[in-house]
Amino acid sequence: MYLTTDEQTITDLGIFGKQHGNGIYDLYNRTHTRGGEAVLKELFLHPLSDREEINRRSRIIEGFAALGMKFPFDGSLFDMAEKYLLHADAQSMNGVQQSVPGEKEVQLGVTAVIELMQRTMQFVGTAEVAGMTAFAQERNAMTLLLSDAVFEPVLREKAKSRLSYTAMTAYDALFRLREYGKIKRLLGQLYYLDVYLSVAKLASERKFVFPRALDKGRPFLRLEGVYHPELKNPVGNDLTMEAARSVIFLTGANMAGKSTFLRAMSTAVYIAHIGFPIAARSMEFSVMDGIYTTINLPDNLGIGASHFYNEVLRVKKMATELSHRKSLFIVFDELFRGTNVKDAHEATVAVAAAFSKRKGSLFVISSHIVEAGEELQRSPTVGFRFLPTRMNGHVPEYTYTLEEGITDDRHGMVIIRNEGVLDILKNGQKL
Amino acid sequence: MSISIDKQTMDELNLLGKFRQGSVYGLFNKVRTRGGEQLLNKLFMQPLDNAAAINERSSILRSFQHAALDFPFDVQQVGLMRDYLDTETGKTALATLGNIMVKSWLSVLTRDERYKKIVQGLQATIVTLNRCHAFVSEKAWAAGPYAARVGAIRAILSDGRLEKLRRTDIYRALPVKTLAYYDFLLKRGMRKEMKEVVDLIAEVDVYIAVSGVARAKGFNYAHVLPPEANILAAEGLYHPCIDHAVGNSLTLRRGSNVLFLTGANMAGKSTLMKSVGIGLYLAHMGFPVAAASMELSLREGLYSSINVADNINLGYSHFYAEVVRVKQAAEAAASGKRLLLMFDELFKGTNVKDAYDGTLAVTEAFAEYGNCLFIVSTHIIEVGEALKGNGNIRFVYMPTIMEGVHPRYTYKLREGITEDRQGMMIIQNEGILELLKED
Repeated sequence: MYLTTDEQTITDLGIFGKQHGNGIYDLYNRTHTRGGEAVLKELFLHPLSDREEINRRSRIIEGFAALGMKFPFDGSLFDMAEKYLLHADAQSMNGVQQSVPGEKEVQLGVTAVIELMQRTMQFVGTAEVAGMTAFAQERNAMTLLLSDAVFEPVLREKAKSRLSYTAMTAYDALFRLREYGKIKRLLGQLYYLDVYLSVAKLASERKFVFPRALDKGRPFLRLEGVYHPELKNPVGNDLTMEAARSVIFLTGANMAGKSTFLRAMSTAVYIAHIGFPIAARSMEFSVMDGIYTTINLPDNLGIGASHFYNEVLRVKKMATELSHRKSLFIVFDELFRGTNVKDAHEATVAVAAAFSKRKGSLFVISSHIVEAGEELQRSPTVGFRFLPTRMNGHVPEYTYTLEEGITDDRHGMVIIRNEGVLDILKNGQKL
Repeated sequence: MSISIDKQTMDELNLLGKFRQGSVYGLFNKVRTRGGEQLLNKLFMQPLDNAAAINERSSILRSFQHAALDFPFDVQQVGLMRDYLDTETGKTALATLGNIMVKSWLSVLTRDERYKKIVQGLQATIVTLNRCHAFVSEKAWAAGPYAARVGAIRAILSDGRLEKLRRTDIYRALPVKTLAYYDFLLKRGMRKEMKEVVDLIAEVDVYIAVSGVARAKGFNYAHVLPPEANILAAEGLYHPCIDHAVGNSLTLRRGSNVLFLTGANMAGKSTLMKSVGIGLYLAHMGFPVAAASMELSLREGLYSSINVADNINLGYSHFYAEVVRVKQAAEAAASGKRLLLMFDELFKGTNVKDAYDGTLAVTEAFAEYGNCLFIVSTHIIEVGEALKGNGNIRFVYMPTIMEGVHPRYTYKLREGITEDRQGMMIIQNEGILELLKED
């Protein structure tokens, strides 16, 4: 079962980044093989929605992180093997062999595959790997593949020894024609291993923690010291949400860090559902059915819809999903900013109050309409947090640390005043 | 001093740019000659700075529009003549003669084209001067705003030497000596006079093109008053680059110098502002404006902030950029200049409350500058309520008519502040709250 999400959420969280190399995915991508990279991308596109699977994956990576193990292969080994095996793919597609690899290619490819298999055998045979219960399933699968009788001569082959022409021909037939399916499965396993080991290495380096997934149904989220993994000098924040406190109403000035906190929190929830370590001190969460964020909603002037109408459509989408009795994690940044104050106020209160009555889901809404917050205090399931602004003379300073309550800090006017716009106009020549 | 306008405003109003789609320059760029295009560009870059000059140009344009002429010159011949007059000649008549003789021999001996070019250039000049003479002799120019200019050219063309040149039959052989004589005469002896003639042709080109556009599109000429009048009044004003645009009437003057504009996103607020800005700028050029009628006093500057609001994702930096823009405008206003300031969706880049406070403070502060005219639009209609006590501010809005769930826009200004509070209505229409009800 996979976590449902959408394009807007993936864009909001910057999972894949706009340009190459600046998304959350790129931050986690330390893989050695192209196949591993593709697997990682798949995992990022499809977070899980199953407690057992999440915890199992998370324990595998945690185990490898604890062992501090390195990926036991050279990336170039895979390049050679993959290039050689491509010819098998072409053949299996048409049923007739069309592309024949050159002699040199066969030689390099066969040697690479043999080395891969031997090293894999060594790897799964080590005591540490054998001792990892979470990894047992993968380990057994690999052992089973390798201990197949047909591969027996492969494992007997002396490392780095030069193969005779006849042996090479025999292996070529074995790898590329007869047992291609098994070789492919083995590579698939190794790609996953690449992902596990590289993420484990990242976790140790960045001191990421492994979240604990809880049963689905009773919404729960406890974050300690959560921060955005892309920040240089991040400030961690704590937040606990549960069934009795399922809506958080977040206020704060423009630069106080609301969007960043919402991103950090949503990213943590998203990554945790992949079973990966996250940027925090600790995290516990109940597994959700879906995650939806609305942080940077674009104006769609092309189709003639107003920003407000876009926001309404977005809320409607959430409402429809919720009405299917799903357990969702929903984030709205600056809800209803595209309209006048009164409408924004009424709409925020109406929607937030309606959210607060839905059981089974968690909501975080940030807003500038402080009055809406005051009205929402009557709803028992709504909690209030704010990110403070401290005025140091005329210069605003930000702590980026959540506090309990509502704030009406604003500094738009401070900036206008600091720039002296009103003074210029006050003292100008008026005729 | 002529009206000052910066790059941002130029871009927002889409005034210049030959290759930009829908630019105002592109709309008027129906000129035929290169000289005409250069002149049109110059007129766009240098609007006029006094009412007399503006009104003179617009009356000339009006007379051209009345005459409904076709461009009386041959475009190719004009081009050849310009090129010919631009090329070098000898320092003395004798040097010119020698030079041309050498070229004529060269053309016989080798494939040298230079002699041929000189002959073609002189022939084109003769043809064009004859056309020009016919044009300036027309009865239409005997009186009226263009009479003086035409008279000066007629005097030039009546010079005995030029008359003799005009009578030269270009289909007869031209001795090298005669060729050299005229080459020297046109490029050196009567250099200034020839420049006048070339300039006139460019002018005529522009006037015919612009007045032709005005006739085709039904534009009218603004009446420009001296700066002290401090007024901007337009009826049936619309955006010149939009076909079938809806015209609107508005008046801004001392004591009523602020227009507070509200309305839904697509209702046409920005387009109205652009129409005002473009109309004002064209009027300062003495060009026809897209309005039934327009009366205005001269302005010293035009500041706008219109398209920036379309990208709200820039966040803080966007807000800051807006503040800086307002500051520039404030400094210009505070220095006592007579400006037209237009801010669309002021402070849209920030939260509703800051936008409210900012818009309110800035609008009130600008309203005190009776010398400046100010148009501000916002979706925060509450600012309007707070400004109601201020006598300088007029409230208008662009209405939205809801037909079921689909909005329709009339693009026709109405007095007051919009009450199009579609917010909750849209939410209800979408049935969101019902969807969220616990079942």
